[in-house]
Amino acid sequence: MMKGSELWVMINSNDRITTPQATVVVINFILGTGILTLPRTVAEQVKTPDVWLSVILGGIIAMIAGVIMVKLSQHFPEKTFYQYSQEIVGKWMGKLFSFFIIGYFLVLGGFHARSLAEVTGYLLLEGTPKWAIIMPFMWASLYLIRGGINPIARLFEIILPITVILFLLVAFMSIKIFEVDNLRPVLGSGITPVLKGIRTTALAFTGPEFMLLILAFMKEPNKAVKAVLVGTAIPLLLYVITVVMVIGAFSVDGVVTRTWPTLDLIRSYELTGLIFERFDSLLLVVWIMQMFTSFTVNHYAASLGLSQLFKKNIHPFMYGVLPVIYLISMVPRNINDVFKLGDMVGNAALILFGFLPVLLLIISKIKGKKYETSL
Amino acid sequence: MRQASNHVRFFLSVLLSVFLLVPLAGCWSSHEIEERSLGVGMALDKANKSMTEKEFDEQEEYPKRNLITSTYQLITPQVASSTTVQGGSQQKAYVNMAETGDSIHQMTRELSLRRETSIASQHLKVIIIGEALARTYSLGKLVNEFLRDNEIRPSCLVLISKGRASDGLESKTAGEIPAFRLAGMVENAYRTTRILPPTSLIKLESNIESGTSFLLQNVLSANGEIKFAGAAIIKGKTNKMIGFLNEEELDGLTWITGKGKGGLVKSFDKKTGQLIVYEIESMKSHIEPHVKGNSISFNVHIESEGRLSENWVVSGNPLENQFLHKVQKNSEKKVKHLVRNTVEKMQKEYKVDVAGFGNQLRIKRPRVWMRVKDNWDQTFSEVPINYDVKLMIKDYGTSGSRK
Repeated sequence: MMKGSELWVMINSNDRITTPQATVVVINFILGTGILTLPRTVAEQVKTPDVWLSVILGGIIAMIAGVIMVKLSQHFPEKTFYQYSQEIVGKWMGKLFSFFIIGYFLVLGGFHARSLAEVTGYLLLEGTPKWAIIMPFMWASLYLIRGGINPIARLFEIILPITVILFLLVAFMSIKIFEVDNLRPVLGSGITPVLKGIRTTALAFTGPEFMLLILAFMKEPNKAVKAVLVGTAIPLLLYVITVVMVIGAFSVDGVVTRTWPTLDLIRSYELTGLIFERFDSLLLVVWIMQMFTSFTVNHYAASLGLSQLFKKNIHPFMYGVLPVIYLISMVPRNINDVFKLGDMVGNAALILFGFLPVLLLIISKIKGKKYETSL
Repeated sequence: MRQASNHVRFFLSVLLSVFLLVPLAGCWSSHEIEERSLGVGMALDKANKSMTEKEFDEQEEYPKRNLITSTYQLITPQVASSTTVQGGSQQKAYVNMAETGDSIHQMTRELSLRRETSIASQHLKVIIIGEALARTYSLGKLVNEFLRDNEIRPSCLVLISKGRASDGLESKTAGEIPAFRLAGMVENAYRTTRILPPTSLIKLESNIESGTSFLLQNVLSANGEIKFAGAAIIKGKTNKMIGFLNEEELDGLTWITGKGKGGLVKSFDKKTGQLIVYEIESMKSHIEPHVKGNSISFNVHIESEGRLSENWVVSGNPLENQFLHKVQKNSEKKVKHLVRNTVEKMQKEYKVDVAGFGNQLRIKRPRVWMRVKDNWDQTFSEVPINYDVKLMIKDYGTSGSRK
């Protein structure tokens, strides 16, 4: 079916990743801006201390969406969404969908870069211009993704344990200012407020969509369901710990006014007697690493999409999308615009990865049956 | 051809390295720590210009309303180096500077017009707010800037001062830094029931946002010395201060909330009039709301374990349970008296709930709370409150002596 000249578009058989690596990539992609803002965004919606229930339900929804995406991709082994979508809905529609998804990754990448610049620009590197923060970040990402999916996965494997250990450490040290009364009563106003928060929390789990692309690189694609479930469950756990500790310290009334509540949690306590007294830089370090991993995935996914659509070598696209992402990151004029951009990306994710895969899965099943009956 | 591309590659990588060197050095807009003053304490008072300020203003005045005087406690590079060189000699270890104006942030920035070293607030430990100011302005406005600031940490403590707050930042002891003294004193809560759990900026914000009334530790000052004495009552509706709980009332309040970590109960034996002291090892309180139709009432169960730590009753023999029982009853009576005193003060005089009764109602009867929360302080002032106190003497220290 494939012409010889198109062979290079196919995935290099050496550049494959194991199931744990795929899991790690999904985890790293999910953890991003959300971990700093989630307690506020969800508390704004729920308004009761039951936010952690919303987080769990949102995570479950993300898992379901992830499994659907995996099932869809498993129908087309060795192919990414960019390639097989054209087989399902035809060349033009498939290309259109692919362009939307490439656009999504570009905008999300811009959003990640900008959030990073906002937080570090105010709380870590005051006075440093945004471009000086974003550009080295982008160049490092370029350097990494030039090697393909394998180096990406290996770097993520190093970053993830550091993140989890340091994050849990700093989160649990806030026990000093934790008040269990702030988390009570459980379901005091019934289940309705909890449901109001689900949309917000489900969007904090955007990340399983990378399964649409990464499945083609997996050594054992049949284990992809496991990868996406574990890959969503670990961020779910970290998110629940985050909202419980933040709400426990600040109460629901206090958290809605904080721009970056998780960071404020770490800024709100000091432990004397240890080598360090303050741990906010520790959190910022792991958070910046997480932003880097999320950004890298966006950068890679967008470049991969363009190269597969135009059937050209991926390297020029890796360079080419950088200025685009940079310009997108500079579009929001103020912090409210940044958050609005985040909401916009979330809504796009809802359509592109909530509804579209279901639709495509149904179409491909029907088509598959037709094919069988016609035989 | 191949060689040319190698040259291009080499050139590009050198160029990239040079570009990367600029941002990666990490010294973009850096400020040397030796050239900054550390702001460690701050006091906000009603406007009262210092002598220096008056003289400045006579010569030239920047247009501003004179509403607030803020006093900054600074550890300047000069002071820091001179005290370390002379080994903490007779010198003051800090510099206090006062600035009068209307905007908290502008007053802080005015310091840059008067000092060569700019102020760094990452180590700000305490903010003291004077009584007069706290009574006129909402706390939400006064601390607004601190909560937005990227240098000031949300863990900074907030205290109220009866009298002028700036006096709380004075010390006559050489080498002592008043702001650190205040921050350290909060840690003594395991020794007395008259220190409130510390209220940091972030907890203050939660209190302000929730709209409930709350307490802030009050600090007195005299002759360069300070003392924690009672607490200031902040009314939830206005976030302004409306009065004080004195030391005895704060004692009773700690028993109601059960948040004390240690302290003493001093009572007198009924028969002999002699002194008995019970030392608290642990303290627990359980506030139970009861709702029947429209009437709300509370039961407070207070439990504590501790030891007999001082006994002047000659006839009393701690080796006998009978005597210990008598001491328990005596101390329980004392605690009950403290609690009743505080409840009366809250309900009758100030008509506010600062002991967390509303919070318990919110937790246990959320639907009832939704109905009454808007007018809770008023409702609370007429609510019946019952309480029982159970103290348990576990031991009598290393001496069973009766004398």
